[in-house]
Amino acid sequence: MSYRWVEHTAELELEIEAATEAGVFVDALRALFELLGDGHRFDRVRREVSVYARERSVLLLEWLDELVFLAETEDLVPIEVERMELSDGGLVASVRCDRGDPRHLVKGATYHRLAFERCGGGFRARVVLDV
Amino acid sequence: MSEGRQAGVGGFRQVDDVVWELPASARADMRVPARVFADRELIGEISADRSLEQLANVATLPGITGAALAMPDIHQGYGFPVGGVAATELPDGVVSPGGVGYDINCGVRLLALPLTVWELGGRTEALVHELSRRVPVGAGHGGALKLTGAAFDHVLTAGPRTLLAGHGIGTEEDIEHTESDGCLPGADPAMVSERARVRGCDQLGTLGSGNHFLEVQRVAKILDPRAAEKFGLRLDQVTVLIHSGSRGFGHQVCTDYVRAMDVALARFRITLPDRQLACAPLSSPEGQRYLAAMACAANFAWANRAVLAHRVRESVARILGPKVAQGTRQVYDVAHNVAKLEQHHGRTLCVHRKGATRAFAAGSMDIPSAYRTVGQPVFIPGSMGTSSFVLVGRQAAMERSFGTTCHGAGRRLSRTGARREITGAELRRRLEAQGIVVRCPSNRGLAEEAPFAYKDVERVVAVVEQAGLAGRVAQLVPLGVVKG
Repeated sequence: MSYRWVEHTAELELEIEAATEAGVFVDALRALFELLGDGHRFDRVRREVSVYARERSVLLLEWLDELVFLAETEDLVPIEVERMELSDGGLVASVRCDRGDPRHLVKGATYHRLAFERCGGGFRARVVLDV
Repeated sequence: MSEGRQAGVGGFRQVDDVVWELPASARADMRVPARVFADRELIGEISADRSLEQLANVATLPGITGAALAMPDIHQGYGFPVGGVAATELPDGVVSPGGVGYDINCGVRLLALPLTVWELGGRTEALVHELSRRVPVGAGHGGALKLTGAAFDHVLTAGPRTLLAGHGIGTEEDIEHTESDGCLPGADPAMVSERARVRGCDQLGTLGSGNHFLEVQRVAKILDPRAAEKFGLRLDQVTVLIHSGSRGFGHQVCTDYVRAMDVALARFRITLPDRQLACAPLSSPEGQRYLAAMACAANFAWANRAVLAHRVRESVARILGPKVAQGTRQVYDVAHNVAKLEQHHGRTLCVHRKGATRAFAAGSMDIPSAYRTVGQPVFIPGSMGTSSFVLVGRQAAMERSFGTTCHGAGRRLSRTGARREITGAELRRRLEAQGIVVRCPSNRGLAEEAPFAYKDVERVVAVVEQAGLAGRVAQLVPLGVVKG
């Protein structure tokens, strides 16, 4: 696992390190699963997710917000990325989800201290979630 | 001047016993000073995170006037600190969605039951349990009242009044006893995205998660008998405090407009130290569209709390009888995440309150007539196991803080920090040992809201009283809590 939660007085600050850009998005989903997962396993479903942004950091916000939207409106807990295509301006992914009872909802992913940058041979990202 | 006043904290110098200030000259990009209401102990806690840096960032907003202010419950947020106040001047001062936050019109409503704790007797647990059955908590949706199309739009434009007229929810007095009569003008549903509608359509009457709660309380002390009498509060009376907001609907409105304003910043030639402060001139199409959408979310939040209050009355009717339910009065409802156009010092200003509460003084025409001789009621929730306070707005708030006071105890410990200190099961056991009934679906969520994760609410309230922003009216202690 290459993400960690950084101390923040009220919200949740997520830091991710991954070997590839796509890996950052995959780990962001895993972090969200840690927040939302409730241990329940009902019917398993697949959702196609498409988000667009010119900046990688903003694309990460859009990705997280889309997963939060699925959790809130369809009770879907994202489990894993089955397929992901990352282009210059967007991301298309097939996400495997469990329909359950998402435990702790994120209100929104914020621009505060938002970062997505090359680091050594890989990539590092940071995003603060309002919870 | 005492020796203590000469020492600075994070560049802030002490101005008087409860005011600390960073001059505008401290940073090249600050337009006004940054000012914090706090005593020495609180400023020490406050300086432990990024709160003060965030407040200085707020002082850079175009059109900000007076000072970027912080209440004693300030803590680190994202963009704006929680507990922050910023007034910007029309027409070209800015409005910032981040200065309101994701939970638009998160707020607090106090209901007073027509009985004492002695008359409640051994029925506290039954009442708390009934509340937990009737009010969906936690993630997403599940509200029994599902509205779509024009009916949903009516809630966005008119707030709780629509529910009273169409569904028999609430009373005329409830609406009179709500800040802004539960309806911000200028709400335009056309400015709200379809995603916001999808998130909000079945969330009316749901509590949400995090720090949202319903608390059954006892009036433990009357501290201002005249104001307490006006507010209809007496010693040992049973009250219910409701804390919730605009749910996913408001979260989506904020998300949509932070994105839109972030894109527009370059066009307005606005440079900011933090992108989450994204903003647009109040007079611009972007600013006007946000105000119209934010008003929809604010009205939705008041409607949400109206439905929650209805569920409380239903619970009271079932456990304590219909007469007690009919006699359950709404004392008031306050917003603590909102931006409003108000008159201050002879000017029209857009006052952003992010984790701060309007606290208008006696005489204001914006206060219900029944309370106008004493001032606006304000509710300051403590944390589970500690007291909450009823305050009243005072004249110094009009002069020093754009008619604003604090909104709660304010976090001092992160959620992970709180979980390191205690498990949810242990906290539940301790609260129950104090005689407090607890209903919370998540042990993890319960631990994150442990009382010691918050500042000392009595100290916070003492500061706003000493600063003259608000006065203490009554102290409420918890009997039972339903946590989101």
